[in-house]
Amino acid sequence: MKIQTSECILSIKDVSKTFPGVKALQKVSFDVRRGSVHGLVGENGAGKSTLMKILSGVYQKDAGAGTVIFDGETIENTTPHESMHRGLAIIYQELNLVNTMSVGENIFLGRFKEMKGMRGTHTSARELLDRIDCKIDTHKLVSELSVSEKQMVEIAKALSFKSKLIIMDEPSSSLTAEELVELVKIIHQLKEQGISIIYISHKLDEIFDFCDVVTIMRDGQIIDTKAKVDLTRDEMITKMVGRSIENEYPERPQNVGATLMEVRSLNTRKLHDVSFTLKQGEILGLVGLVGAGRTEIVRAIFGADKTDGHQILINGSAVRIKNPNDAKLAGFGFVPEDRKLQGLVLPFSVESNISMASFEKFTKFGFISKSKESEIGIRQAKALVVKTPSTKTPVKNLSGGNQQKCIIGRWLENDPRIFIMDEPTRGIDVGAKYEIYVLMKAIAEKGGAVILISSELPEVLNMSNRVLTLFEGRITGEFNPQTASADEIMRAALGMTEGSANP
Amino acid sequence: MKKNIALLGQSFLRNYVLIAILALIVVTMLVEPNFMTFANLINIMRQFGPLVMVSLGMTFVIIGGFIDLSVAGTISLVAVVTVTLIDPIGQVPAILVGLGVGALCGYVNSLLVLSSGALTQAEALFITFGMSTVYSAIALMYSGGSTKHMRFLKGDTSVIEALGQGSVGIFSVSFLVFLVCLAVLWVFQTQTRMGRAICLTGGNKTAAHLCGVPVSRSIIAIYTISGFMAAIGAIILFSRITTASPVIGAGYETNAILAVVVGGTTLKGGKGSVLRTVMGVLLVILMSNCLNLLGVTPYMQVVTKGAILVLAIWLDNRTQI
Amino acid sequence: MMTIMESSAPLLKLATKQKAFVAIVGMLVLMLFFDTNFYTTYNLLDMLNSTSILLILAFGVSLTVISAGCDLSIGGIMVVAGIIAIKLMDVMPMWGAILCALVFGAFVGFVNGFLVVQQKTEPFIITLGMGMLLTGVAQQLTDARPVPASNPDFMIIGNGDFFGMPYLVIIMLVCFALAHWLMRYTQYGRNLYAIGGDYEVALYSGIDVVRTKWIAFVISGAGAALAGVLLSSKLNTGSSIYGETAALIVNCGVVVGGTSFAGGIGGIPQSALGLLVFGILDNAMNMLGITSYIQILLKGAIIVGIIWMDCFYQKRKRELV
Repeated sequence: MKIQTSECILSIKDVSKTFPGVKALQKVSFDVRRGSVHGLVGENGAGKSTLMKILSGVYQKDAGAGTVIFDGETIENTTPHESMHRGLAIIYQELNLVNTMSVGENIFLGRFKEMKGMRGTHTSARELLDRIDCKIDTHKLVSELSVSEKQMVEIAKALSFKSKLIIMDEPSSSLTAEELVELVKIIHQLKEQGISIIYISHKLDEIFDFCDVVTIMRDGQIIDTKAKVDLTRDEMITKMVGRSIENEYPERPQNVGATLMEVRSLNTRKLHDVSFTLKQGEILGLVGLVGAGRTEIVRAIFGADKTDGHQILINGSAVRIKNPNDAKLAGFGFVPEDRKLQGLVLPFSVESNISMASFEKFTKFGFISKSKESEIGIRQAKALVVKTPSTKTPVKNLSGGNQQKCIIGRWLENDPRIFIMDEPTRGIDVGAKYEIYVLMKAIAEKGGAVILISSELPEVLNMSNRVLTLFEGRITGEFNPQTASADEIMRAALGMTEGSANP
Repeated sequence: MKKNIALLGQSFLRNYVLIAILALIVVTMLVEPNFMTFANLINIMRQFGPLVMVSLGMTFVIIGGFIDLSVAGTISLVAVVTVTLIDPIGQVPAILVGLGVGALCGYVNSLLVLSSGALTQAEALFITFGMSTVYSAIALMYSGGSTKHMRFLKGDTSVIEALGQGSVGIFSVSFLVFLVCLAVLWVFQTQTRMGRAICLTGGNKTAAHLCGVPVSRSIIAIYTISGFMAAIGAIILFSRITTASPVIGAGYETNAILAVVVGGTTLKGGKGSVLRTVMGVLLVILMSNCLNLLGVTPYMQVVTKGAILVLAIWLDNRTQI
Repeated sequence: MMTIMESSAPLLKLATKQKAFVAIVGMLVLMLFFDTNFYTTYNLLDMLNSTSILLILAFGVSLTVISAGCDLSIGGIMVVAGIIAIKLMDVMPMWGAILCALVFGAFVGFVNGFLVVQQKTEPFIITLGMGMLLTGVAQQLTDARPVPASNPDFMIIGNGDFFGMPYLVIIMLVCFALAHWLMRYTQYGRNLYAIGGDYEVALYSGIDVVRTKWIAFVISGAGAALAGVLLSSKLNTGSSIYGETAALIVNCGVVVGGTSFAGGIGGIPQSALGLLVFGILDNAMNMLGITSYIQILLKGAIIVGIIWMDCFYQKRKRELV
């Protein structure tokens, strides 16, 4: 598809980006026509966010690799601030607003003088918000707004720069159905005003609803760019997922046994009456949007957060878990969501990171045996094939996948019966992912059970024996991923259907 | 042990501050022949006592990722309480009560830090500063603001005198006390589970907590140790100068932080060692001594120490991660 | 459990946010029950007069705290600037000497800014070290003795009045107006709030974060120098002993007012209220004849209480997110 440059607001050619050890983007090229809504789809890790960050100037593309032409200008070494003024705005998933300041001031952040003071700021902000039919008081603090209201503020901010292109990065990921309708309305309005939009999402419905052109990305490459009318749903899915699907995941565990753990009426500020069971030998997947309460459930079970009363039965007898140490003793293992902030002690050695959950094994009368500790470190590093020069190397020098293996090895040392994994493969390369899947399977097959949380739906669907969907702190469905369709499961996770299709 | 020495060597090379101080010592040796005299070395050894005790305690707080400004108040309070109790209950019980008071002060700090949920050094800094003021005020109230002289006491003060002036062979008693404390704390830090828990707490509190490492108990331990070590420092201090004023501890907190940081324990928490702190204290004291011999005023020494503290923190910030 | 937590949250929020106001009203009401000279124009004006210097310090410090920093070197800057003004008056006209003092303060602020903003060092301990360094400088300059001013006119600034309104209060009010205008009505001030609220967002919005925050430290330094000049003028002497605890009291006062060390919130009027808490407390305690030791104790306890509440509120906020 050849388009004249003048018709294109943005034209990307052969852009590459390399991070240490990872090729995030390889020779990416596509064009965005003026006044169109351009969908960009791909699974997590396909390189969508990296590409957007290069456009906005948060990252710089590899030197000399490709060109970016925006509105007729070739762009090199830009900054977020520059590209905003040029008319290219990005609305990120993690919203870019100062929580402690008012809506009006956020829209004109850093442009107080231009707006001729506070009054001018708020009047202009009002006008912008009115343009998108938004009723938010401009004097309200951003911290008091809901996610969708914050998005509106971001859109108003984009309009304030007279943006010609607005990029929305997964804007619907934390919206309710009604809020999404509002957003779609605004997108249509913007389009009428001649503003182009790149809409990033992995929800095919949305893409089919209102995008004109769709670009599909996978593994840092553009697979195809086509007008929506020329594209079928199945074609899109095949291109998104790619042919490597068959050998991307090992077979799921086979021998699901009796109930191992039962959680009864778990309540916290964000969770409402959550009850479920976990069977021996299974992998249980939790599916839900960001903020639906997936992480909250496992943290509560693990004793990391306070709850308003709940009951846990393991093998039929009640267990009291007040803190992570109790959970550890009860046979839990836990891979936290954020590897660097919650999992690792970065400046410490691989060995002490592995040994830190199994003090009992190498201490006597409170004294540490260094040699036994080394044994543990070496044993687990070997068993999990952690690539490290030595177990004394600081763990911060390892790659993401090997760091994650250290965390898993730390718990395997205790032979956990119930292994909780929250986003175990986030930011890890494909090879290491597979190894982690195999580990998960091994834990389940040794008579344990795994609770798996992941934002990558294919991962959960391909690895779990059973899937629970969550929406706004409630369990909205239970599915057998081998029989239920991805669509059904997503619908339940979006709160659109109640009830379950039991296996 | 060999590795520890190698580590020390590495930190030397990394640490420009140490090199600067060593250069100062060399210059002093060349310019001032009195430096290497026996009397001066004894003098250095005696000065060593109180500061090193306080600094050893402070090391644990800093490894644990916090800071303790309350040692100034704690030292004053312990000194005053111990001296006034010698007559009524005898010297050994008085010393024991003093040590108890020190540990209690630290324990109270830890409870405040824990209950407020303070996570950062900054929060702990302000809380412990406030507690320092409180402890100083209690010391002032208890003593009525007057300085107590040991020679006016009726009771037996032989133990305290021995601590201050006595020696066994070529070592002063206080130096032997220091060796015992150092050995115990070194073993505690490097060989015990609790010591490891403290390091992990300083390295990453969240991760440590999620692994079942007793983070709360570690925080209680570091502050209690700090208070207890400050108490030992206080008793050695007044045994040497034979008076106890209610403001005797002023300035020890910054000197201890200085010694710990110059020694090479990072303010970011997690990594550090009591042995390094001993080096740090030695260097700080040698520096004072050199500056004294070179005829620099005590005020200029405060300036120098302040400058080195700023420089050391700056370098610490640059060299880590 | 749920309901208690939720219903107590707004109350806690109110008490934390408006704690200065609550405390002031509380003290004012309390003083109604005592038969003292508290409620006389003379006393209230005197109280304002003696709080003025702390208030001027607080305005500058507020800038650094709002931008998520902190300045603990102001005590040191204050005393050194006061001494510089008095000493230079012997060799140059009064205004020249005062100007030099202010330039000195701004320079120290510049260095602080370099270390904290440009080099990204933890502000709390490094500015504490800077304060220690400057205290040493002050002692060196004065030999730790008070230095009288040679120019009799100098005294007038700190002690004169304009139709009954002390000059100090007038200067304070001018500073207040300036600082408030800067923070509320200029791009610079709003940018500081943005930086404190979210550093990354401010950076990506094209705000020159380093320069903006750096300037906050320069202003804080210059403000502290002005306070030092006024203090010297009020006492007609320059001395190294004032301002030892001023830094921590002022920083705490700013937090009392509702400006949090987390940055981004608070303001100049809030800081003024926060410092007035300490001013009224001092005055009321004197009026009630509370002995000085108990005054120290109370102040320490209040600092601990306030910081404890600030930490606790931050922890609560973290848990709710």
